[in-house]
Amino acid sequence: MAGVVDGVAIEAEGLSKRYGDLEAVRDLSFTVGKGEIVGFLGPNGAGKTTTMRMLTGFLPATDGSAAIAGHDIFADPLNARRAIGYLPETPPLYPEMTVQAYLDFVAKLKDVARGERAQAVSRALDRCGLSDVRRRVIGDLSKGFRQRVGLAQAIVHDPPVLILDEPTVGLDPIQIREIRGLIAELAAPDQGAARHTVILSTHILPEVEAICERIILINRGRKALDQPLSELIAGGQSLEEVFTRATSLDESLDDAPGLATASEAAAAGEEAAP
Amino acid sequence: MNHTLAIAGRELGSLFVSPVAYVVLTLWSVLAGTFFLSSLIGFDTQIAQASQYGAQEFLAQMNLNDHLITPFFGSMWIVLLFLVPAVTMGLFANEKANGTDELLYTSPIRVWEIVIGKFLAGFAFVGIMTLIVAFFPAILFIYGEPEVGKTAAGLLGLLLVSMSYVGVGALASSLTRNQLIAFVITMVSLLVIGLMLPFIVEVGLGGDSGGGGIGIGPTMRYISTGTHFETLMSGVVDTADLAYFAIVIGVCMVISKSALESVRWR
Repeated sequence: MAGVVDGVAIEAEGLSKRYGDLEAVRDLSFTVGKGEIVGFLGPNGAGKTTTMRMLTGFLPATDGSAAIAGHDIFADPLNARRAIGYLPETPPLYPEMTVQAYLDFVAKLKDVARGERAQAVSRALDRCGLSDVRRRVIGDLSKGFRQRVGLAQAIVHDPPVLILDEPTVGLDPIQIREIRGLIAELAAPDQGAARHTVILSTHILPEVEAICERIILINRGRKALDQPLSELIAGGQSLEEVFTRATSLDESLDDAPGLATASEAAAAGEEAAP
Repeated sequence: MNHTLAIAGRELGSLFVSPVAYVVLTLWSVLAGTFFLSSLIGFDTQIAQASQYGAQEFLAQMNLNDHLITPFFGSMWIVLLFLVPAVTMGLFANEKANGTDELLYTSPIRVWEIVIGKFLAGFAFVGIMTLIVAFFPAILFIYGEPEVGKTAAGLLGLLLVSMSYVGVGALASSLTRNQLIAFVITMVSLLVIGLMLPFIVEVGLGGDSGGGGIGIGPTMRYISTGTHFETLMSGVVDTADLAYFAIVIGVCMVISKSALESVRWR
């Protein structure tokens, strides 16, 4: 664990989200320390995206509260959002814009000061390896490049907290490796810059092993596990075993599809792993 | 304010990258030319006929404003009913379809900044459309002497009508993620408030044209945009009519904002 945890970046307290009768997330509490890289794990439909959307302020929570870098997401939403870089499951791109114009637009939205905007955009382009395609129209880019533009969008205002929803989904193995490298670099920059706190969701287990320091496993909207990865591995169990056991704890029949998806995902992840 | 301008600027830029803006502006220009020409020929024919029959009184009443410019603006107003929906259909619906609403709502900006930005983009676009129309009466000033004030009031009327239609279109766009649905809702609503209401007033209620009073006739008359547009075209800039357009635009903004928020709070 390289993380020097000296403060809390994300604090969630009893977060719940109900859609009518459906309880997508139920009483979820966790804290993420500054500079930590946390893997948000769970089968499809477990509530990962909903939780992330609540943290970023896209969806209001039905119950509970959360704070980002000390700013409550309800009482002080603008400052909380300013502290977040968010890559949604589908990168929020305008296909008709050029990469550079798009990042400039996002920088304006995120309150990057006018004098620093050009620099912020070129730094984001640089870090995401987009400098060569800066003048290309986003709609013409390959999926891998679009994912990178999505990531550049999330870091353009240099936020202390990064929330990434399945950053590598749908990419080929080489692209996956590149994006992972990028995330790892953001979390531990070499020039002594501030470490970003990263929380990323995935159902690809090797991805967690490759970059995360801690995992929070959620299943059917509830937290099933919250442990540093090193402890889990030291316990001599593979992540897949942990995952399978945690997701089948309340064994009812309707868990079966979730399990199938999870092991499929694990298999897909292993294939894709470098 | 910066956020609002950034959003308006991006929206306008995207409109001009898409074919929609060019199709709309081309159609608008071609129709403006056609209607202007036909109004001009009509004006010419009327004068020729009047002088042939020696109707001096009628000839004395003929003027460029009432017999050429006003009918021309009136025709362009009908075109607006069909073209504005195409301009506004994507305003909010596109963001939802693209998933870019997730970027907007997770940025440190307020919902009203988004709403005003979108409205401004629409206003700027119909401003361009009004300028295109203004070009034609401007030609008349070279060859004749139309009244400047009356012409300007008519143009202002056309602009205000377009802006209130942008409001209706933006509101429709905030209700759905499907541009086509937004287009249809807008066009139907505009046909109702633009054409149906005055028609009901004139025909169904026996031409209840008496000003003021409370009742279905005067109320419908007040609601329909045509009434207020006609006052402006006659050269009368009344604060009551300006207030009407301000209210329509304001109400559309408020409902759009609530519609955008309610989707997420559900």
